[in-house]
This record gives sequence, structure tokens and C-alpha cells, in this order.
Amino acid sequence: MAKSSGSYILDTSALISLGSVHILEQVLKVFSVTTTGSVIRELEDFARYGDKYGSIAREVLAWKSKLVIESCETKEPIKYIEPTDNELYSLALQKGLPLVTDETKLVHHARKNIEVYFTTLFLVMLAEARHFTKKEALHKLEELRDIRNWRNNIIYITTRNQLELLSP
Amino acid sequence: METEQFNIRMPKGLVQDLGIISKLLKVNKSEWVKTKLAEDVHEEKSRLLMELSTLYANGMVNKEKIEKLVGKEVAGEMESIKAIAQKSAQRGIAYGKKFRKLHP
Repeated sequence: MAKSSGSYILDTSALISLGSVHILEQVLKVFSVTTTGSVIRELEDFARYGDKYGSIAREVLAWKSKLVIESCETKEPIKYIEPTDNELYSLALQKGLPLVTDETKLVHHARKNIEVYFTTLFLVMLAEARHFTKKEALHKLEELRDIRNWRNNIIYITTRNQLELLSP
Repeated sequence: METEQFNIRMPKGLVQDLGIISKLLKVNKSEWVKTKLAEDVHEEKSRLLMELSTLYANGMVNKEKIEKLVGKEVAGEMESIKAIAQKSAQRGIAYGKKFRKLHP
């Protein structure tokens, strides 16, 4: 699938999620991924620490040259979300591109005005495309659930139900 | 921070134990109780909302019921998460199928 198949804007949570289950490389082969300088700075902050998030952030930053990095003035900020997220929201509005995030608050407040997705889109896509087996996909979902502390939340259950429908 | 008074009667033994903690930690009794209560309330609220969202994700309760239990804001947020989680999975399936067609 060529990169013309789509462009997405990703926030810090989405890049960390994809890095945590080691599928960022495959996603970058298929899609054009845009983010902002503020997101890169957040990842660089994480990368200074020796914990699991630091290690994932370093893995993500290794792919920095493949990301399109843009900035955007925030004209109509959403009251309940952080400035970094508001910049991404404005960028999505301005460019007419979908935003991928695992921040539920951002999804809730942004969905009326822009197209939003969770990173599980990419996990389901790669499983459906047979990049990995159903068992491997379910295992990656468990890993993602742990890193995001999803427990039995709606994202986890909905995605698991979808993956369960795939053939082995 | 806006506050509201909330009075509770406690067993004498518990108040004495609080006094011991207060002296040993050199903290105000009320402040210590407030901190502990805030921690427990946050944890219990998260746990119960998680259970409620599990029931909602599995179709065992509907949005109206959630609205009655915890209000419109929480119900609206759960509805958004469910809708976007389903949309993400559906889009993933569509892309995956397209990919398999192009690279059989």
C-alpha cells in the first residue's frame, strides 16, 4: 500500500502507543504521519528518563526523520485540553486531516469538529492485513492495554471483540 | 478551591488513633483525613466508572441508564469513546482488506 493511502496527525499518546507495541515502523511505511514540534519536545522530555516511557520515547524518536513536523496557531482552543493538544486539534482543523490519539478527553471534545481515531485503528489494520496473526494481535493489544492502563475499558473491549472476529 | 462542610461521627477509638498519627507525623488531623479520603474517593470512583464502562462496552447498560447514574457528562464521554473505538476498528478492517487485495 502506497503512502497515498492516507495522512494522519498523531499526538504524543499515539506515538507512544505505537512505539510500545513496535508497529510505528509499519505504520510509517503505509501512511504519512504529521505531528508538531511540541509533541517532539514532549517525547524528548520522556526520553531523558530510564523508565519504560523513556525507552519507548527513544524508540519513537529514532523515526523522527520520517515524520512531517509542523506548527500551527491555536485560534479556537478547546477549554478542557492542554495547549499541545489544542495545537494538534487546530492543525487537524486547518489541514482537514484526521487526528489519532489515545487521550479519551481529547477524543470526546474534538470529535464534533474533526475526524478522530484511537491507535487501535493501526493494530486492527495490520492484523486484518495479516502482518501478524490474530494471536499476535491480541497479545499486542494486551501490551497496549498495560502501557496505557486501559484495564477493561471501552477501547480495549471494543478492539478485542473486533480482533476475535478475525480468522486465525 | 471551593469547599463544602461534611460532618461525620466517628468511634472514639478511631479519633484517638488519628490523634496518634497526627502527633507522630506532625500533621493536622483534618488535613490528613482529607488527603486519605481524597485518595480513596479517586480510586473507588475510577474503579466503579471502569466497571460501568465495561458493562456499557458489552451492551449490558445503555447511555440513558448511565446518565441517570452518573450524569450527562460522563455518559457523553463514554458514548464518544465507544463510537470512536468502533470507528477505529472498522477503518482498520477496511485498510487491512485493501492492503490484502493489493498484496495478495
